[in-house]
Amino acid sequence: MDIKLIRNLSLGGLIILVISLFYYQVIKGDMYLNRAQANYIRVVSKEAIRGTILDRNYETLAYDRGAFNIAVIPYQIKDNKEELFSKISRLAKVKKETLTINYNRNFRSPFYPVDILIDIDKEKALALKEELGEEVIIEEIPQRHYPFGKELAHILGYVKRGVNVSNNSDVYGYIPYQRVGLAGIEKYYNNYLAGRDGGELLEVDALGKIAGFLGANHPKKGKDIVLTIDLRLQRIAYQLLSEYKRGVIIVMDPRDGQIHVFCSQPSYEPNQIMRGVDFDSILKAEDNILLNRGIQARYPLGSVFKPILSIAGLEEKKITSNTTFICEGRYRLGNLSFECRSAHGKQNLIEALAHSCNVYFYNVGAILDIDKIAKWAKKFGLNTLTGIDLPYEKSGIVPDQHWKITNIKSPWFKGDTLNVSIGQGYLEATPLEVLVAISAFANGGYLVKPHLVKEIEGENISLSPSKFLDLSLSHINEVKKGLEAVVSWSNGTAHLLDTLKLSIAGKTGTAQTIGKSHGWFVGFFPSSSPKYSICVFLENVGSSSEAVKVAYDFLKEAKNKGIISQEEIKR
Amino acid sequence: MRFNIRLFILCIIILNCLSLIALNSSLHQEGEFSGKEQFYKQIVWIFVFWIVILVFYFINYRVYFNLSFYIYILSIIFLLGVKLWGKEIMGAQRWIPLGEFNFQPSEFSKLAVIILSARILSLDVKRAIFFRKLILPLILISISFILIFKQPDLGTAMLIFLIFFMMSLSSDIKKRYIIYMLILGLVLLPLIWVKLADYQKKRVIVFLDPNVDPLGAGYTIIQSKIAIGSGKIFGKGFLAGTQNQFNFLPERHTDFIFTVIAEEFGLIGSLFLLWIYGNILKNILNKTREVKDNFGQFLCIGIFSLLFLQIFINIGMTMGLFPVVGIPLPFLSYGGTHLLITAISLGIFLNIVKQW
Repeated sequence: MDIKLIRNLSLGGLIILVISLFYYQVIKGDMYLNRAQANYIRVVSKEAIRGTILDRNYETLAYDRGAFNIAVIPYQIKDNKEELFSKISRLAKVKKETLTINYNRNFRSPFYPVDILIDIDKEKALALKEELGEEVIIEEIPQRHYPFGKELAHILGYVKRGVNVSNNSDVYGYIPYQRVGLAGIEKYYNNYLAGRDGGELLEVDALGKIAGFLGANHPKKGKDIVLTIDLRLQRIAYQLLSEYKRGVIIVMDPRDGQIHVFCSQPSYEPNQIMRGVDFDSILKAEDNILLNRGIQARYPLGSVFKPILSIAGLEEKKITSNTTFICEGRYRLGNLSFECRSAHGKQNLIEALAHSCNVYFYNVGAILDIDKIAKWAKKFGLNTLTGIDLPYEKSGIVPDQHWKITNIKSPWFKGDTLNVSIGQGYLEATPLEVLVAISAFANGGYLVKPHLVKEIEGENISLSPSKFLDLSLSHINEVKKGLEAVVSWSNGTAHLLDTLKLSIAGKTGTAQTIGKSHGWFVGFFPSSSPKYSICVFLENVGSSSEAVKVAYDFLKEAKNKGIISQEEIKR
Repeated sequence: MRFNIRLFILCIIILNCLSLIALNSSLHQEGEFSGKEQFYKQIVWIFVFWIVILVFYFINYRVYFNLSFYIYILSIIFLLGVKLWGKEIMGAQRWIPLGEFNFQPSEFSKLAVIILSARILSLDVKRAIFFRKLILPLILISISFILIFKQPDLGTAMLIFLIFFMMSLSSDIKKRYIIYMLILGLVLLPLIWVKLADYQKKRVIVFLDPNVDPLGAGYTIIQSKIAIGSGKIFGKGFLAGTQNQFNFLPERHTDFIFTVIAEEFGLIGSLFLLWIYGNILKNILNKTREVKDNFGQFLCIGIFSLLFLQIFINIGMTMGLFPVVGIPLPFLSYGGTHLLITAISLGIFLNIVKQW
């Protein structure tokens, strides 16, 4: 009898069991304990309500309303998953692949609800529940809504649900589809708007039945934000711009940089993005509708640069208000000829601004030379971000000799200087930069920081100080007189605006570019103590007169509606 | 080391108690004693268990030597009977209904094979040992194997072969013949694979990687591992195993009863259980040495193999060391027939003890 062999064999067997037990229960114990907890502990996430966004008169611009998710528990549907998905696909009119993709992406454990349909409306959700009963779970979730859609899209931006977008350790539990602002105010102030998500810890059994309650962390609502935007004015601006293919209207308080209107055309429908449909069509749409042309596109300035060149000449003591140049319709440089719109004859500073005489400014530019011009263009912020509270702002370009060598790989010519003198050539800026620069003539020489947010949860936002340019007041007033003449003189380029009786000062610009010229009007009113500055910019409309017309229509409508009144602005 | 009858009986009583504790827990659900009826049935079964032990204790084991072929033929008839009148539970035809009680012929086959093998191996033959002690019994056992395999019950079918091989290892057959046979068996495995039912193939595939089908065939083994591992050293406590109480673990009162013990009583509890089993097995081997009759010795080894293999395969299976096959844990799993067969085996063994 070979009992020893049998004994050794079985002893070996028992030792294998002991080693294996030790491996699972001691070495891997914690890992398996976690997995056991993942089985029976369910975190039911409760998403925080996002802060509401309001305009300066407390009109609601963006808010959360209820939407629904449909979830399934994998273990419960393991035998009829395909069949169930086909049914849901038919009932909810969604592609079956979408359900499968969502299912695979959101699967965590056999017992954790998996979202297969996200953000559907109440009727659809209730219909599914009624039809499918215990097989599906309805979860109510907040969904963002923008009642004014396209009219404020570039300011407000939008939110999207992303998978695991946040690494925030404060989050209690797991929010598979946390919302995050991806553009505009929604992005810039996401931390304030988002609030804190919460959840409940429940004990559940293998069938998903709740067996116990372990704890809860209540979600905290995000903070409400009040904008400086005036919805009434914004809507007028949007209405007027929608007649044009591409353009921008910005209205700002030149004293502190509060933005009243910020409208960029073309625009997009943010609610469409909320519903998660067809983001591609938005991306591929003509004219890049997601682009906020007020801060994300650079344009040649044309004649709206002339006030800046004027103050440069005065401050550098190269000209005085009495300096005159004779305009014979062109300026000669060697055998090159630089044109003016007409032969203006003898022009002083005010006349040159009122008539927008190129020859006068060619002369000023030639005297100053490019280094001085660039110095002053930079001083007025044309190559720096304005610092507005919106994401993805771009800055303009102020060229000089060094810039041209590094970027164009070519030396600087005198002709380049003449081009820059009338806001052409390589000089480019965003409409907001131009507005902020021209506003310096309205507020006595300050470069304000434009901003859109007035209050966060009832508390006024502290303003960052404006940059003082340290200009001589008399110089500012001399340029200002020129800007007033643009409107008040019968042969001024924006004389149309005079009939509004708002004592507007400003400058038009017809900026040459590839294709038809861009039209500019940048100004402020009332010129004695300005409360509003305005920039109207229209892409490829041919001439500044279109911009002046839009400015006129806009201000007239605002006046007719009593939003801007002579009494108010005189106060 | 001498056989210690008091310790032996004590160990069995401890196992009876552990069985009731584990069953009690596994028949609870979310704090509610939902399986009361089965629990009381098991108490009755434990009484029957001891009565059966007592009955067989008084039957002289030599009787089986003469009856061995008839017993084996009877087991074959039972297996054929189950084919004809068997009751189908969960896709397998393993049971013959006898009133309240479902008799499982394949359990009886285990015993029949042990008795048959003990007789053949104990015969004093001089010539053709290889044929008479290895080939002949293998052919005979193959009949049972095929019938059980067809039920289908792969686990029990393999088990009867393994019992025979363990017994033959202790005999005077040259070890290399046995090894040849085992190698031949391995070569024939692909043939068995072809004959396997789909669910059985799946079980083997998920044994290699449970995550290929986490909600289907791999589910039980994954949840069982989670339960065992999460018990850690001290366990979660009686009635506090979450895998068990919240119903994440299927089959937990039958084949996966060990998992309940490992989850609720941890490594300490599991090792205690193995120690008790070890004591019983060691005592059987100690007695085997003292027996002066060849047939008695082989019966002891057969009974030892039956217990050891079932313990090893069942516990190994709960940890994923083996594919999930329907092999109960001796003394602990709920169920009548296997407890009855264990009782008969112990009764026979105790009669051998009485004789020597």
